[in-house]
Amino acid sequence: MELKVLGQAEPEAPKGGCSAGSCGSTDDQLSHLPEDIREKVHNHPCYSEEAHHYFARMHVAVAPACNIQCHYCNRKYDCANESRPGVVSELLTPDQAVKKTMAVAANIPQMTVLGIAGPGDPLANPERTFATFRALSEQAPDIKLCVSTNGLALPASVDELAKHNIDHVTITINCVDPEVGAKIYPWIFWNNRRIKGKKGAKILIEQQQKGLEMLVERGILVKVNSVMIPGVNDEHLKEVSRIVKQKGAFLHNVMPLIAEAEHGTFYGVMGQRGPKSSELQALQDDCAGDMNMMRHCRQCRADAVGLLGEDRGAEFTMDKIEDMEIDYTAAMEKRAQVHAAIEQELAAKQAKPQAPALVPLESLGGGSKPRPVLMAVATTGGGVINQHFGHAREFLVYEASAEGVRFIGHRKVDLYCSGGDTCGDGESVLGGIINTLEGCEAVLCAKIGYEPWEMLEEAGIQPNGEHAMEPIEDAVMAVYSEMLEMGKLDAKTDDQETQATA
Amino acid sequence: MALKIIESCVNCWACEPLCPNQAIYEAKPHFLIDAKKCTECEGEFADAQCASICPIEGAILDALDEALNPPGSLTGIPPERMAEAMAELQAH
Ligand code: SF4
Ligand code: SF4
Ligand code: SF4
Repeated sequence: MELKVLGQAEPEAPKGGCSAGSCGSTDDQLSHLPEDIREKVHNHPCYSEEAHHYFARMHVAVAPACNIQCHYCNRKYDCANESRPGVVSELLTPDQAVKKTMAVAANIPQMTVLGIAGPGDPLANPERTFATFRALSEQAPDIKLCVSTNGLALPASVDELAKHNIDHVTITINCVDPEVGAKIYPWIFWNNRRIKGKKGAKILIEQQQKGLEMLVERGILVKVNSVMIPGVNDEHLKEVSRIVKQKGAFLHNVMPLIAEAEHGTFYGVMGQRGPKSSELQALQDDCAGDMNMMRHCRQCRADAVGLLGEDRGAEFTMDKIEDMEIDYTAAMEKRAQVHAAIEQELAAKQAKPQAPALVPLESLGGGSKPRPVLMAVATTGGGVINQHFGHAREFLVYEASAEGVRFIGHRKVDLYCSGGDTCGDGESVLGGIINTLEGCEAVLCAKIGYEPWEMLEEAGIQPNGEHAMEPIEDAVMAVYSEMLEMGKLDAKTDDQETQATA
Repeated sequence: MALKIIESCVNCWACEPLCPNQAIYEAKPHFLIDAKKCTECEGEFADAQCASICPIEGAILDALDEALNPPGSLTGIPPERMAEAMAELQAH
Protein backbone atom coordinates (compact mmCIF):
# COMPACT_ATOMS: atom_id res chain seq x y z
CA MET A 1 0.00 0.00 0.00
CA GLU A 2 1.19 3.46 -0.87
CA LEU A 3 0.93 6.01 1.87
CA LYS A 4 -0.55 9.28 0.84
CA VAL A 5 1.82 12.02 1.59
CA LEU A 6 0.45 15.45 1.05
CA GLY A 7 1.07 16.64 -2.46
CA GLN A 8 3.30 13.70 -3.14
CA ALA A 9 2.89 13.89 -6.89
CA GLU A 10 6.08 15.91 -7.23
CA PRO A 11 9.11 13.80 -6.48
CA GLU A 12 10.95 17.04 -5.80
CA ALA A 13 9.66 18.40 -2.52
CA PRO A 14 8.86 22.06 -2.77
CA LYS A 15 10.97 24.07 -0.43
CA GLY A 16 10.09 26.87 1.86
CA GLY A 17 7.78 26.81 4.80
CA CYS A 18 4.24 27.83 4.20
CA SER A 19 4.23 27.63 0.42
CA ALA A 20 2.99 24.08 0.33
CA GLY A 21 0.41 24.68 3.00
CA SER A 22 2.27 22.58 5.47
CA CYS A 23 2.41 25.20 8.18
CA GLY A 24 -0.46 26.35 10.23
CA SER A 25 -2.67 23.98 12.06
CA THR A 26 -2.13 20.29 11.86
CA ASP A 27 -5.89 19.82 11.73
CA ASP A 28 -5.89 21.06 8.19
CA GLN A 29 -3.36 18.49 7.25
CA LEU A 30 -5.12 15.68 9.03
CA SER A 31 -8.29 16.48 7.19
CA HIS A 32 -6.54 15.79 3.90
CA LEU A 33 -5.52 12.33 4.94
CA PRO A 34 -7.36 9.14 4.08
CA GLU A 35 -9.59 7.88 6.85
CA ASP A 36 -7.42 4.90 7.80
CA ILE A 37 -4.41 7.12 8.35
CA ARG A 38 -6.37 9.73 10.25
CA GLU A 39 -7.50 6.92 12.48
CA LYS A 40 -3.86 6.08 13.20
CA VAL A 41 -2.70 9.58 14.03
CA HIS A 42 -5.60 11.52 15.50
CA ASN A 43 -4.86 10.51 19.09
CA HIS A 44 -1.11 9.98 18.86
CA PRO A 45 0.60 12.81 20.69
CA CYS A 46 3.72 12.67 18.53
CA TYR A 47 2.00 12.37 15.17
CA SER A 48 -0.66 14.99 15.73
CA GLU A 49 0.22 18.41 17.05
CA GLU A 50 -3.36 18.85 18.21
CA ALA A 51 -3.46 15.51 20.01
CA HIS A 52 -0.38 16.23 22.08
CA HIS A 53 -2.27 18.71 24.24
CA TYR A 54 -4.74 16.02 25.26
CA PHE A 55 -3.30 12.54 24.92
CA ALA A 56 -0.41 11.05 26.83
CA ARG A 57 2.25 8.52 25.96
CA MET A 58 4.76 6.50 27.88
CA HIS A 59 7.99 4.73 27.14
CA VAL A 60 9.20 1.56 28.81
CA ALA A 61 12.94 1.09 29.09
CA VAL A 62 13.35 -2.59 28.23
CA ALA A 63 15.99 -2.37 25.52
CA PRO A 64 19.49 -1.66 26.86
CA ALA A 65 21.78 -3.02 24.14
CA CYS A 66 22.76 -1.00 21.13
CA ASN A 67 24.33 -2.07 17.87
CA ILE A 68 25.85 1.22 16.74
CA GLN A 69 27.67 4.14 18.31
CA CYS A 70 26.57 7.73 17.77
CA HIS A 71 28.81 10.66 18.59
CA TYR A 72 25.97 12.33 20.49
CA CYS A 73 25.41 9.40 22.78
CA ASN A 74 27.43 8.29 25.74
CA ARG A 75 26.51 4.82 26.86
CA LYS A 76 27.78 5.52 30.33
CA TYR A 77 25.34 8.29 31.08
CA ASP A 78 21.97 9.55 30.17
CA CYS A 79 22.00 10.20 26.44
CA ALA A 80 20.81 13.73 25.96
CA ASN A 81 19.42 13.28 22.46
CA GLU A 82 18.24 9.82 21.92
CA SER A 83 15.94 9.36 24.84
CA ARG A 84 17.93 7.23 27.17
CA PRO A 85 17.35 6.86 30.87
CA GLY A 86 20.18 7.82 33.16
CA VAL A 87 22.08 5.44 35.32
CA VAL A 88 19.49 5.92 38.06
CA SER A 89 16.51 4.97 35.93
CA GLU A 90 15.21 1.48 36.03
CA LEU A 91 15.81 -1.00 33.29
CA LEU A 92 12.71 -3.16 33.09
CA THR A 93 12.17 -6.77 32.20
CA PRO A 94 9.32 -7.34 29.75
CA ASP A 95 7.10 -8.54 32.63
CA GLN A 96 7.81 -5.42 34.63
CA ALA A 97 7.23 -3.26 31.58
CA VAL A 98 3.81 -4.79 31.04
CA LYS A 99 2.96 -4.23 34.68
CA LYS A 100 4.10 -0.64 34.54
CA THR A 101 2.18 0.05 31.37
CA MET A 102 -1.02 -1.30 32.86
CA ALA A 103 -0.50 0.74 36.03
CA VAL A 104 0.15 3.95 34.14
CA ALA A 105 -2.72 3.38 31.73
CA ALA A 106 -5.01 2.90 34.71
CA ASN A 107 -3.83 6.04 36.46
CA ILE A 108 -3.45 8.30 33.45
CA PRO A 109 -6.50 7.46 31.36
CA GLN A 110 -5.42 9.99 28.70
CA MET A 111 -2.70 7.54 27.75
CA THR A 112 -3.02 6.23 24.19
CA VAL A 113 0.48 5.22 23.18
CA LEU A 114 3.16 2.91 24.54
CA GLY A 115 6.54 3.22 22.94
CA ILE A 116 9.83 1.42 23.27
CA ALA A 117 12.68 3.79 22.60
CA GLY A 118 15.66 2.28 24.34
CA PRO A 119 17.73 3.06 26.30
CA GLY A 120 19.69 1.26 23.58
CA ASP A 121 18.11 0.26 20.30
CA PRO A 122 14.85 -1.68 20.69
CA LEU A 123 15.55 -3.80 17.63
CA ALA A 124 18.98 -4.72 18.93
CA ASN A 125 17.07 -6.32 21.82
CA PRO A 126 14.44 -8.14 19.80
CA GLU A 127 13.49 -10.68 22.43
CA ARG A 128 12.82 -8.16 25.18
CA THR A 129 11.12 -5.71 22.84
CA PHE A 130 8.83 -8.21 21.17
CA ALA A 131 7.96 -10.02 24.38
CA THR A 132 6.70 -6.69 25.70
CA PHE A 133 4.70 -5.93 22.56
CA ARG A 134 3.25 -9.41 22.44
CA ALA A 135 1.94 -9.24 25.99
CA LEU A 136 0.59 -5.73 25.62
CA SER A 137 -1.23 -6.30 22.38
CA GLU A 138 -3.10 -9.06 24.21
CA GLN A 139 -3.68 -7.37 27.54
CA ALA A 140 -4.21 -3.75 26.54
CA PRO A 141 -5.52 -3.91 22.99
CA ASP A 142 -6.67 -0.28 23.09
CA ILE A 143 -3.14 1.05 23.55
CA LYS A 144 -1.20 1.88 20.41
CA LEU A 145 2.29 0.45 20.23
CA CYS A 146 5.24 2.13 18.64
CA VAL A 147 8.98 1.79 18.48
CA SER A 148 12.02 3.95 17.75
CA THR A 149 15.10 2.57 16.10
CA ASN A 150 18.41 3.53 14.57
CA GLY A 151 17.36 1.34 11.63
CA LEU A 152 20.31 -1.03 11.45
CA ALA A 153 18.26 -4.10 12.37
CA LEU A 154 15.05 -2.77 10.87
CA PRO A 155 14.75 -4.74 7.61
CA ALA A 156 15.16 -7.95 9.57
CA SER A 157 12.45 -6.90 12.04
CA VAL A 158 9.75 -5.47 9.79
CA ASP A 159 7.70 -8.65 9.53
CA GLU A 160 7.77 -9.21 13.24
CA LEU A 161 6.75 -5.59 13.81
CA ALA A 162 3.85 -5.90 11.42
CA LYS A 163 2.69 -8.98 13.29
CA HIS A 164 2.36 -7.06 16.52
CA ASN A 165 0.08 -4.57 14.99
CA ILE A 166 2.44 -1.67 15.31
CA ASP A 167 1.12 1.39 13.54
CA HIS A 168 4.06 3.71 14.05
CA VAL A 169 7.81 3.42 13.75
CA THR A 170 10.38 6.15 14.26
CA ILE A 171 13.72 5.84 12.49
CA THR A 172 16.56 8.16 13.37
CA ILE A 173 18.14 9.13 10.07
CA ASN A 174 20.88 11.72 10.27
CA CYS A 175 22.36 11.30 6.82
CA VAL A 176 22.07 9.61 3.46
CA ASP A 177 25.73 10.09 2.56
CA PRO A 178 28.38 7.82 4.11
CA GLU A 179 30.89 10.71 4.13
CA VAL A 180 28.60 12.61 6.46
CA GLY A 181 27.69 9.41 8.28
CA ALA A 182 31.31 8.70 9.16
CA LYS A 183 31.37 12.00 11.08
CA ILE A 184 28.36 10.95 13.15
CA TYR A 185 28.75 7.20 13.61
CA PRO A 186 32.22 5.94 14.54
CA TRP A 187 31.19 2.28 14.21
CA ILE A 188 28.39 -0.22 13.80
CA PHE A 189 28.14 -3.89 14.70
CA TRP A 190 27.17 -5.84 11.63
CA ASN A 191 27.40 -9.52 10.67
CA ASN A 192 29.35 -10.35 13.81
CA ARG A 193 32.00 -7.68 13.48
CA ARG A 194 32.63 -4.11 14.34
CA ILE A 195 32.77 -2.01 11.20
CA LYS A 196 34.20 1.47 11.45
CA GLY A 197 34.02 4.70 9.53
CA LYS A 198 32.50 5.22 6.11
CA LYS A 199 32.02 1.53 5.49
CA GLY A 200 29.92 1.15 8.62
CA ALA A 201 27.95 4.30 7.92
CA LYS A 202 27.18 3.06 4.41
CA ILE A 203 25.69 -0.17 5.73
CA LEU A 204 23.65 1.72 8.31
CA ILE A 205 22.28 4.09 5.68
CA GLU A 206 21.35 1.21 3.36
CA GLN A 207 19.52 -0.61 6.13
CA GLN A 208 17.67 2.53 7.22
CA GLN A 209 16.46 3.29 3.71
CA LYS A 210 15.50 -0.31 3.05
CA GLY A 211 13.65 -0.46 6.36
CA LEU A 212 11.79 2.75 5.57
CA GLU A 213 10.67 1.39 2.22
CA MET A 214 9.54 -1.90 3.72
CA LEU A 215 7.48 -0.18 6.41
CA VAL A 216 5.81 2.15 3.94
CA GLU A 217 4.96 -0.83 1.74
CA ARG A 218 3.17 -2.41 4.67
CA GLY A 219 1.21 0.69 5.51
CA ILE A 220 3.05 1.39 8.76
CA LEU A 221 3.47 5.09 9.45
CA VAL A 222 7.06 6.22 9.66
CA LYS A 223 8.38 9.24 11.47
CA VAL A 224 11.97 10.18 10.72
CA ASN A 225 13.96 11.83 13.48
CA SER A 226 17.10 13.73 12.56
CA VAL A 227 19.55 15.36 14.91
CA MET A 228 20.74 18.70 13.59
CA ILE A 229 24.49 18.96 14.08
CA PRO A 230 25.82 22.35 12.95
CA GLY A 231 28.68 22.04 10.50
CA VAL A 232 28.22 18.28 10.20
CA ASN A 233 24.81 17.51 8.74
CA ASP A 234 22.78 20.73 8.90
CA GLU A 235 22.86 21.48 5.18
CA HIS A 236 22.67 17.80 4.35
CA LEU A 237 19.41 17.34 6.28
CA LYS A 238 17.47 19.12 3.55
CA GLU A 239 18.50 16.31 1.22
CA VAL A 240 17.61 13.74 3.88
CA SER A 241 14.20 15.32 4.29
CA ARG A 242 13.57 15.33 0.55
CA ILE A 243 14.49 11.68 0.17
CA VAL A 244 12.56 10.33 3.11
CA LYS A 245 9.45 12.25 2.08
CA GLN A 246 9.78 10.92 -1.42
CA LYS A 247 9.90 7.42 -0.02
CA GLY A 248 6.70 7.98 1.90
CA ALA A 249 7.76 8.89 5.42
CA PHE A 250 4.85 10.54 7.15
CA LEU A 251 6.51 13.04 9.43
CA HIS A 252 9.96 14.56 9.74
CA ASN A 253 11.23 15.65 13.12
CA VAL A 254 14.42 17.70 13.06
CA MET A 255 15.75 17.95 16.59
CA PRO A 256 18.60 20.05 17.93
CA LEU A 257 21.84 18.38 18.97
CA ILE A 258 22.29 18.54 22.71
CA ALA A 259 25.99 18.39 23.47
CA GLU A 260 27.08 19.57 26.88
CA ALA A 261 30.60 18.64 27.88
CA GLU A 262 29.30 17.13 31.11
CA HIS A 263 27.23 14.57 29.23
CA GLY A 264 30.52 13.02 28.24
CA THR A 265 29.48 12.43 24.66
CA PHE A 266 32.06 12.67 21.93
CA TYR A 267 30.48 15.87 20.59
CA GLY A 268 30.11 17.26 24.09
CA VAL A 269 33.74 16.65 24.96
CA MET A 270 34.95 17.95 21.62
CA GLY A 271 33.07 21.20 21.93
CA GLN A 272 30.70 20.61 19.03
CA ARG A 273 27.90 23.12 19.55
CA GLY A 274 24.19 22.56 19.17
CA PRO A 275 22.05 24.77 16.93
CA LYS A 276 20.45 28.00 18.11
CA SER A 277 16.67 28.10 18.19
CA SER A 278 16.67 30.35 15.15
CA GLU A 279 18.94 28.01 13.17
CA LEU A 280 16.77 25.04 14.01
CA GLN A 281 13.66 26.91 13.00
CA ALA A 282 15.20 27.96 9.70
CA LEU A 283 16.19 24.39 8.88
CA GLN A 284 12.76 23.09 9.85
CA ASP A 285 11.22 25.64 7.53
CA ASP A 286 13.58 24.63 4.74
CA CYS A 287 12.68 20.98 5.22
CA ALA A 288 8.95 21.64 5.37
CA GLY A 289 7.90 20.65 1.92
CA ASP A 290 4.91 18.53 1.18
CA MET A 291 4.94 16.85 4.55
CA ASN A 292 4.30 17.63 8.15
CA MET A 293 7.27 18.72 10.13
CA MET A 294 7.03 17.77 13.73
CA ARG A 295 7.72 20.79 15.86
CA HIS A 296 6.43 19.71 19.21
CA CYS A 297 8.89 16.94 19.97
CA ARG A 298 10.26 17.07 23.50
CA GLN A 299 13.20 14.71 23.05
CA CYS A 300 11.78 12.50 25.75
CA ARG A 301 13.67 10.03 27.81
CA ALA A 302 13.33 6.31 27.21
CA ASP A 303 11.26 6.08 30.38
CA ALA A 304 9.10 9.20 30.04
CA VAL A 305 5.51 9.06 31.27
CA GLY A 306 2.61 11.45 30.73
CA LEU A 307 1.76 14.29 28.38
CA LEU A 308 4.58 15.49 26.15
CA GLY A 309 6.48 18.10 28.07
CA GLU A 310 5.67 16.67 31.48
CA ASP A 311 7.37 13.72 33.09
CA ARG A 312 5.50 11.74 35.68
CA GLY A 313 7.98 8.87 35.63
CA ALA A 314 8.78 9.28 39.31
CA GLU A 315 5.20 8.36 40.25
CA PHE A 316 5.56 4.98 38.61
CA THR A 317 8.79 3.42 39.79
CA MET A 318 8.66 -0.35 40.13
CA ASP A 319 8.40 -0.32 43.92
CA LYS A 320 5.42 2.03 43.75
CA ILE A 321 3.77 -0.10 41.12
CA GLU A 322 4.10 -3.22 43.23
CA ASP A 323 1.75 -1.63 45.75
CA MET A 324 -0.82 -0.42 43.26
CA GLU A 325 -4.02 -2.36 42.95
CA ILE A 326 -5.31 -2.23 39.45
CA ASP A 327 -8.58 -3.39 38.01
CA TYR A 328 -7.62 -3.74 34.36
CA THR A 329 -11.10 -4.13 32.98
CA ALA A 330 -12.39 -1.09 34.82
CA ALA A 331 -9.32 0.87 33.75
CA MET A 332 -9.94 0.06 30.12
CA GLU A 333 -13.55 1.20 30.37
CA LYS A 334 -12.51 4.41 32.04
CA ARG A 335 -9.96 4.96 29.30
CA ALA A 336 -12.58 4.49 26.65
CA GLN A 337 -14.79 7.09 28.36
CA VAL A 338 -12.01 9.62 28.81
CA HIS A 339 -10.87 9.19 25.22
CA ALA A 340 -14.41 9.59 23.94
CA ALA A 341 -14.80 12.79 25.95
CA ILE A 342 -11.57 14.19 24.52
CA GLU A 343 -12.65 13.25 21.00
CA GLN A 344 -15.91 15.08 21.57
CA GLU A 345 -14.13 18.14 22.82
CA LEU A 346 -11.85 18.10 19.81
CA ALA A 347 -14.74 17.59 17.42
CA ALA A 348 -16.65 20.47 19.01
CA LYS A 349 -13.59 22.64 18.68
CA GLN A 350 -13.30 21.82 15.02
CA ALA A 351 -16.99 22.26 14.31
CA LYS A 352 -17.01 25.72 15.86
CA PRO A 353 -16.71 28.14 12.98
CA GLN A 354 -13.14 29.28 13.30
CA ALA A 355 -12.84 33.01 13.41
CA PRO A 356 -10.67 33.70 10.43
CA ALA A 357 -7.39 34.05 12.22
CA LEU A 358 -6.10 36.28 9.50
CA VAL A 359 -5.43 39.94 9.36
CA PRO A 360 -7.61 41.16 6.50
CA LEU A 361 -5.24 42.30 3.85
CA GLU A 362 -7.36 45.37 3.04
CA SER A 363 -6.61 46.72 6.48
CA LEU A 364 -2.96 46.85 5.63
CA GLY A 365 -3.26 49.90 3.48
CA GLY A 366 -1.73 49.98 0.06
CA GLY A 367 1.69 49.05 1.35
CA SER A 368 3.60 45.88 1.89
CA LYS A 369 2.63 42.95 4.07
CA PRO A 370 3.19 43.34 7.80
CA ARG A 371 6.23 41.45 9.01
CA PRO A 372 5.80 38.18 10.90
CA VAL A 373 6.22 38.23 14.67
CA LEU A 374 7.25 35.46 17.08
CA MET A 375 5.39 35.14 20.37
CA ALA A 376 5.94 32.83 23.30
CA VAL A 377 3.03 31.28 25.16
CA ALA A 378 2.86 29.75 28.64
CA THR A 379 0.46 26.84 28.75
CA THR A 380 -0.03 23.60 30.59
CA GLY A 381 -1.95 22.15 27.67
CA GLY A 382 -5.43 22.08 26.25
CA GLY A 383 -4.58 24.70 23.64
CA VAL A 384 -5.28 27.66 25.94
CA ILE A 385 -3.13 30.23 27.70
CA ASN A 386 -3.40 29.03 31.26
CA GLN A 387 -0.02 29.20 32.94
CA HIS A 388 1.66 31.70 35.20
CA PHE A 389 4.86 33.02 33.63
CA GLY A 390 6.87 31.95 36.64
CA HIS A 391 5.60 28.39 36.55
CA ALA A 392 6.45 27.75 32.95
CA ARG A 393 9.17 25.22 32.29
CA GLU A 394 8.78 25.66 28.59
CA PHE A 395 7.19 28.15 26.25
CA LEU A 396 5.46 27.34 23.01
CA VAL A 397 6.55 29.65 20.24
CA TYR A 398 4.12 30.78 17.56
CA GLU A 399 4.60 32.91 14.52
CA ALA A 400 1.88 35.38 13.59
CA SER A 401 1.87 36.79 10.09
CA ALA A 402 -0.55 37.95 7.44
CA GLU A 403 -0.98 34.26 6.57
CA GLY A 404 -2.22 33.39 10.05
CA VAL A 405 -0.74 31.75 13.10
CA ARG A 406 1.59 28.79 13.00
CA PHE A 407 3.26 26.76 15.67
CA ILE A 408 7.03 27.01 15.51
CA GLY A 409 8.29 24.97 18.42
CA HIS A 410 8.81 24.88 22.11
CA ARG A 411 11.67 26.24 24.16
CA LYS A 412 12.65 24.81 27.49
CA VAL A 413 13.50 27.18 30.30
CA ASP A 414 14.42 27.08 33.96
CA LEU A 415 16.50 23.94 34.21
CA TYR A 416 17.77 23.94 30.70
CA CYS A 417 18.98 26.30 28.12
CA SER A 418 18.43 24.93 24.66
CA GLY A 419 21.69 23.91 23.08
CA GLY A 420 23.80 26.67 21.68
CA ASP A 421 22.10 29.50 23.52
CA THR A 422 24.54 31.18 25.77
CA CYS A 423 23.45 31.15 29.33
CA GLY A 424 26.41 32.02 31.48
CA ASP A 425 26.70 30.87 35.04
CA GLY A 426 26.29 34.27 36.62
CA GLU A 427 22.93 34.94 35.06
CA SER A 428 19.71 34.65 36.98
CA VAL A 429 17.10 32.14 35.93
CA LEU A 430 15.10 35.03 34.55
CA GLY A 431 18.06 36.16 32.49
CA GLY A 432 18.28 32.63 31.14
CA ILE A 433 14.62 32.66 30.23
CA ILE A 434 14.98 35.94 28.44
CA ASN A 435 17.90 34.51 26.48
CA THR A 436 15.87 31.48 25.59
CA LEU A 437 13.03 33.65 24.33
CA GLU A 438 15.39 35.45 21.96
CA GLY A 439 13.55 36.54 18.85
CA CYS A 440 10.11 36.62 20.50
CA GLU A 441 8.42 40.01 20.78
CA ALA A 442 5.66 39.09 23.22
CA VAL A 443 5.00 36.57 25.96
CA LEU A 444 1.41 35.53 26.54
CA CYS A 445 0.67 34.02 29.90
CA ALA A 446 -2.11 33.75 32.46
CA LYS A 447 -0.33 36.01 34.94
CA ILE A 448 3.05 37.52 35.49
CA GLY A 449 4.81 39.22 38.39
CA TYR A 450 6.05 42.80 38.44
CA GLU A 451 9.77 42.07 38.37
CA PRO A 452 9.80 39.69 35.41
CA TRP A 453 7.40 42.08 33.65
CA GLU A 454 9.93 44.88 33.88
CA MET A 455 12.87 42.77 32.86
CA LEU A 456 11.04 41.33 29.88
CA GLU A 457 9.99 44.78 28.73
CA GLU A 458 13.53 45.99 29.07
CA ALA A 459 14.67 43.11 26.90
CA GLY A 460 12.16 44.08 24.23
CA ILE A 461 9.69 41.29 24.94
CA GLN A 462 6.21 42.56 25.74
CA PRO A 463 4.51 40.57 28.52
CA ASN A 464 0.78 40.12 28.09
CA GLY A 465 -1.63 38.63 30.62
CA GLU A 466 -4.81 39.87 29.02
CA HIS A 467 -5.68 36.69 27.21
CA ALA A 468 -5.72 34.24 30.09
CA MET A 469 -7.77 31.12 29.37
CA GLU A 470 -8.25 32.05 25.73
CA PRO A 471 -7.38 29.71 22.86
CA ILE A 472 -3.75 30.25 21.92
CA GLU A 473 -4.17 30.93 18.22
CA ASP A 474 -6.93 33.47 18.74
CA ALA A 475 -4.94 35.32 21.38
CA VAL A 476 -1.78 35.38 19.29
CA MET A 477 -3.72 36.80 16.38
CA ALA A 478 -5.39 39.37 18.63
CA VAL A 479 -2.04 40.59 19.90
CA TYR A 480 -0.70 40.64 16.36
CA SER A 481 -3.64 42.73 15.20
CA GLU A 482 -3.05 45.16 18.07
CA MET A 483 0.58 45.47 17.10
CA LEU A 484 -0.51 46.13 13.56
CA GLU A 485 -2.95 48.84 14.61
CA MET A 486 -0.30 50.48 16.72
CA GLY A 487 1.90 50.62 13.67
CA LYS A 488 4.53 48.35 15.19
CA LEU A 489 4.67 45.99 12.29
CA ASP A 490 6.06 48.14 9.57
CA ALA A 491 9.04 48.99 11.73
CA LYS A 492 12.40 47.30 11.20
CA THR A 493 12.46 43.81 12.64
CA ASP A 494 15.72 43.98 14.48
CA ASP A 495 14.88 47.10 16.38
CA GLN A 496 12.69 45.39 18.93
CA GLU A 497 14.03 47.42 21.81
CA THR A 498 12.42 50.64 20.69
CA GLN A 499 9.18 49.01 19.63
CA ALA A 500 8.54 47.30 22.90
CA THR A 501 9.23 50.28 25.05
CA ALA A 502 7.51 52.68 22.69
CA MET B 1 42.34 -18.61 27.24
CA ALA B 2 39.55 -16.37 28.20
CA LEU B 3 38.49 -12.75 28.05
CA LYS B 4 37.61 -10.73 31.10
CA ILE B 5 35.16 -7.90 31.81
CA ILE B 6 36.34 -5.25 34.25
CA GLU B 7 34.70 -2.52 36.29
CA SER B 8 34.32 0.04 33.53
CA CYS B 9 31.55 -2.15 32.08
CA VAL B 10 28.23 -0.26 32.13
CA ASN B 11 26.00 -3.35 32.11
CA CYS B 12 24.51 -2.50 28.76
CA TRP B 13 23.65 -6.08 27.82
CA ALA B 14 25.02 -5.75 24.30
CA CYS B 15 27.54 -8.59 24.65
CA GLU B 16 25.49 -11.12 26.58
CA PRO B 17 23.19 -12.47 23.87
CA LEU B 18 26.03 -12.66 21.34
CA CYS B 19 28.34 -15.04 23.16
CA PRO B 20 28.29 -18.38 21.34
CA ASN B 21 29.13 -20.19 24.56
CA GLN B 22 26.85 -18.43 27.03
CA ALA B 23 29.97 -17.46 28.92
CA ILE B 24 28.76 -13.96 29.78
CA TYR B 25 26.44 -13.44 32.69
CA GLU B 26 24.75 -10.56 34.43
CA ALA B 27 26.39 -9.89 37.77
CA LYS B 28 26.80 -7.06 40.26
CA PRO B 29 28.33 -4.56 39.96
CA HIS B 30 29.07 -5.49 36.36
CA PHE B 31 28.78 -8.32 33.85
CA LEU B 32 31.28 -11.15 34.03
CA ILE B 33 32.76 -13.82 31.80
CA ASP B 34 32.95 -17.41 32.95
CA ALA B 35 36.57 -18.24 32.12
CA LYS B 36 35.79 -21.93 31.84
CA LYS B 37 33.28 -21.34 29.07
CA CYS B 38 34.96 -18.55 27.09
CA THR B 39 36.86 -19.73 24.03
CA GLU B 40 37.68 -16.21 22.84
CA CYS B 41 35.27 -17.18 20.09
CA GLU B 42 37.97 -19.18 18.38
CA GLY B 43 36.68 -21.38 15.61
CA GLU B 44 33.32 -19.69 15.86
CA PHE B 45 33.86 -16.10 14.78
CA ALA B 46 36.71 -14.14 13.33
CA ASP B 47 36.42 -11.58 16.15
CA ALA B 48 35.57 -12.04 19.81
CA GLN B 49 31.89 -11.17 19.81
CA CYS B 50 31.72 -9.44 23.17
CA ALA B 51 34.65 -7.18 22.35
CA SER B 52 33.24 -6.40 18.91
CA ILE B 53 30.04 -4.83 20.21
CA CYS B 54 31.12 -3.48 23.60
CA PRO B 55 30.76 0.32 23.48
CA ILE B 56 33.11 0.97 26.38
CA GLU B 57 36.81 1.38 25.72
CA GLY B 58 38.87 -0.75 28.07
CA ALA B 59 36.00 -2.78 29.56
CA ILE B 60 37.10 -6.10 28.05
CA LEU B 61 40.63 -7.46 28.53
CA ASP B 62 42.39 -10.36 26.90
CA ALA B 63 44.35 -13.09 28.70
CA LEU B 64 47.34 -10.72 28.95
CA ASP B 65 45.18 -8.04 30.58
CA GLU B 66 45.36 -5.86 27.52
CA ALA B 67 42.28 -3.90 26.49
CA LEU B 68 40.70 -5.23 23.32
CA ASN B 69 39.29 -1.79 22.72
CA PRO B 70 42.06 0.55 23.86
CA PRO B 71 41.46 4.25 24.58
CA GLY B 72 40.50 6.16 21.46
CA SER B 73 39.68 3.07 19.45
CA LEU B 74 35.92 3.40 19.65
CA THR B 75 35.57 7.13 19.17
CA GLY B 76 37.70 6.69 16.07
CA ILE B 77 40.20 9.26 17.23
CA PRO B 78 43.53 8.29 18.78
CA PRO B 79 44.13 10.20 22.00
CA GLU B 80 47.06 12.14 20.58
CA ARG B 81 44.79 13.61 17.94
CA MET B 82 42.16 14.74 20.44
CA ALA B 83 43.40 18.31 20.70
CA GLU B 84 43.62 18.74 16.96
CA ALA B 85 40.19 17.27 16.36
CA MET B 86 38.72 19.47 19.03
CA ALA B 87 40.04 22.60 17.37
CA GLU B 88 38.60 21.45 14.06
CA LEU B 89 35.17 20.84 15.54
CA GLN B 90 35.09 24.10 17.39
CA ALA B 91 35.98 26.02 14.27
CA HIS B 92 32.46 25.85 12.84
S1 SF4 C 1 10.89 12.09 21.85
FE1 SF4 C 1 9.58 13.32 20.50
S2 SF4 C 1 8.63 11.83 19.20
FE2 SF4 C 1 9.43 10.67 20.95
S3 SF4 C 1 7.78 10.59 22.45
FE3 SF4 C 1 8.94 12.40 22.90
S4 SF4 C 1 7.89 14.01 21.77
FE4 SF4 C 1 7.21 12.09 20.89
S1 SF4 D 1 35.18 -13.93 23.66
FE1 SF4 D 1 33.49 -15.01 22.69
S2 SF4 D 1 33.28 -16.82 23.96
FE2 SF4 D 1 34.46 -15.41 25.17
S3 SF4 D 1 32.95 -14.32 26.36
FE3 SF4 D 1 33.31 -13.09 24.53
S4 SF4 D 1 31.73 -13.74 23.16
FE4 SF4 D 1 31.83 -15.33 24.74
S1 SF4 E 1 29.02 -4.81 26.09
FE1 SF4 E 1 30.65 -4.04 27.38
S2 SF4 E 1 29.69 -2.51 28.67
FE2 SF4 E 1 28.05 -3.72 27.77
S3 SF4 E 1 27.66 -5.32 29.29
FE3 SF4 E 1 29.13 -6.17 27.86
S4 SF4 E 1 31.11 -5.68 28.76
FE4 SF4 E 1 29.62 -4.44 29.80
